[in-house]
Amino acid sequence: MINGQPFTLYPGDTAIVLPHQEFGSDKGFLDLGTISWMAIQPQQFSKNGQLVPGPWSSIPANECKSIARLLSINHVPVLSKLATAAHIFNCLQKEINGQEIGYTVRVNQLIDELLITIVRHLTRQNNLQRDFPQTFMKLEQSLRNNLDHQWLVEEMAVIVGLGTTAFTEKVKNYTGFSPLHYLINIRIAEAIKLLKNTSRPVTDIALETGFYSSQHFSTTFKKLTGYTPRQFRTNNTRKT
Amino acid sequence: MDCIITIDIGTSAVRIFAFEMNGNAIGFAKGSYPTFHTEPIYSEQDPEQVFITVLYVLKNFLTEKINTKKYKVAAICFSAAMHSVLPVNKNGVPLGNAITWADNRGKKEADDLKKLPLAKTIYDATGTPIHPMSPLIKIAWIKRHDKERFSKTDKFIAIKNYIIQQLTGECVIDYSLASATGLFNIHKLHWDNNALAYAGINADKLPAPVPVFYSSLHLRREYQVSLGLPAKTKIIIGASDGCMATLGAGVWGEGKATITIEQSGAVRVAGNKMIRDSKQRFFNYLLTDGYYVSGGPTNNGGVIFEWFAKQFGVFNEAYGIDDSIHTLIKEAMQVPAGADGLLFLPYLLGERAPLWNANARGAYFGLNIKHEQKHFIRATLEGILYEIYSIGKILEEHRAFSTLSINGSFAVYPLWAQIIADMFGKPVSVNNSYDSIGTGALLLSQTEMGVYRSLEDAAKAVSLQASYHPNKKDHQVYMKYFSVFEKLSHKLKDEFEEIALLQNL
Repeated sequence: MINGQPFTLYPGDTAIVLPHQEFGSDKGFLDLGTISWMAIQPQQFSKNGQLVPGPWSSIPANECKSIARLLSINHVPVLSKLATAAHIFNCLQKEINGQEIGYTVRVNQLIDELLITIVRHLTRQNNLQRDFPQTFMKLEQSLRNNLDHQWLVEEMAVIVGLGTTAFTEKVKNYTGFSPLHYLINIRIAEAIKLLKNTSRPVTDIALETGFYSSQHFSTTFKKLTGYTPRQFRTNNTRKT
Repeated sequence: MDCIITIDIGTSAVRIFAFEMNGNAIGFAKGSYPTFHTEPIYSEQDPEQVFITVLYVLKNFLTEKINTKKYKVAAICFSAAMHSVLPVNKNGVPLGNAITWADNRGKKEADDLKKLPLAKTIYDATGTPIHPMSPLIKIAWIKRHDKERFSKTDKFIAIKNYIIQQLTGECVIDYSLASATGLFNIHKLHWDNNALAYAGINADKLPAPVPVFYSSLHLRREYQVSLGLPAKTKIIIGASDGCMATLGAGVWGEGKATITIEQSGAVRVAGNKMIRDSKQRFFNYLLTDGYYVSGGPTNNGGVIFEWFAKQFGVFNEAYGIDDSIHTLIKEAMQVPAGADGLLFLPYLLGERAPLWNANARGAYFGLNIKHEQKHFIRATLEGILYEIYSIGKILEEHRAFSTLSINGSFAVYPLWAQIIADMFGKPVSVNNSYDSIGTGALLLSQTEMGVYRSLEDAAKAVSLQASYHPNKKDHQVYMKYFSVFEKLSHKLKDEFEEIALLQNL
């Protein structure tokens, strides 16, 4: 059981359990076979995309953010047949038991390697990288569900399983917009609906749709539509 | 220098073109928006996102390509996808998402109506086949199944009407788009009483119909400022995308037909008479008063070949479907016409014309031990085009044509174009312009502005070259296999129904 859901693990499979999730068997014992497991205790991990592994890791901070985002929107914690992960586990065991010179450096590198392997495998497993429109639709859904998150292009690219440059080019080709401009489209469209259909304060709407401030919202909104959010609301709530 | 801007609000993206007054293209921009499928058979779009996308693309395009250069916008002309329905309240505010043409929620309503004699009366008056795509059926569905939304609705408009209303404050619909609603009397040019009664609404629940040349529209002051356009910029309401594409392909009058294959496809002819098909298989949409674009749409165009590529193609890089498709087409060329007897029914998405059977499904037929993978590729391609041919063949029983023009990203692949020429046994020409919808909107604007005396003259200005000539031998091969294809498509009717029920789609 991981996070309240049952999974069957086969030989060679890898399961990821996040810090806020529970795992174990509902019977209190394993049905069959053995599992090797390792707990990584990051200095910080939160569901909204914060990951600070600690000084041992050499993964840059912005990439950690992307990893955290990917892990927290992932619903399938089991990676099937990930032979590389098993190999890394073996190496880790040898290093820790042997304690040969340089073993701490090796162990730190191996855990980084394990993280990267898992993340790359996740993006491949989640989409076959054949159908860009379909993959993009999934990304769109993630953006909509987390509109108030300060999305980085790197985070979006990881979800699609592409490098940042290739991702930006693909999105531009497909939508006509850069990823961040596309995101602004969604934000403004959602904001327009809230302006028209609710009487919520403009500041609340701004923050909820992912703008830094009501000032940032008003400027962006006016640049695009020619109206300030308040004018726009007045214009659309009376009969023209 | 003056220029004309055309804005096409398509199924998945807005495409904007700019032309000099003599028709030379200046530039192009596009921006896409998503379609939501909250239920498998639902197909919806967010009107606000469509609007923001149109505005954003238009603004950037004007800033980069028009206002900073020596150009002055003389006119803006619109076209749009047909059949969308957007309920709005008395303030013009959308009540939820717009329902697009691909939405099938009204399947039962359409089936029920088709059984009544009223169906024929409505079809004869409105020219639109009775089908879930039709706003007639969608409004009837909302009335029955979404009573709250129905009661709040002040008007049922189309996405195009919404965009124009946002920009100008006016809520009107052109005859062309109105003629695709299944609610508009295409002979008398007003909302049809029988259709209104069936849908359960009065004419005041729909926007006022105006001619396609209607240009008494003015940009709201705020948009004049933000877009940098003068108050007197002419805005022409324009027509539907299908009618624009037909005009842009130079099809006017007898003897000509045009084939479009994008994701879906269509075969169209144009003339001053409606095609009254006893089985109601063809649509009749107004290009302008008294001028009908008739034909049949297929669900299964390029989307089917893309499906094949995604399943069986080779991908050398992530998401490299274009390369994959090119490679498949090259392999298909190594197989002779007729795919050595392997046939493919392409009805993966159900089918509209000519079967009008939502339960139709795909099949490979005639497999023998000598068939290789490449035969499947060839058969898939030929199956998609047999379907196109089957529309054309029945269409020709009503309206003879001797030449064909093709457009759309799939139809213009040389192998596809050649097979079309061979199946029809007629010369095929390729549109010189790469976007016939934009060209159609340009011609309509030029006619409104007096460059051409009539749309007929404008259509004549489209230059076409016969680039593909039919091969007689291959034509005969295709005709023999087509006869099997056609028989299979009809014979399997019961089995289609049975399998669709099991698949629960």
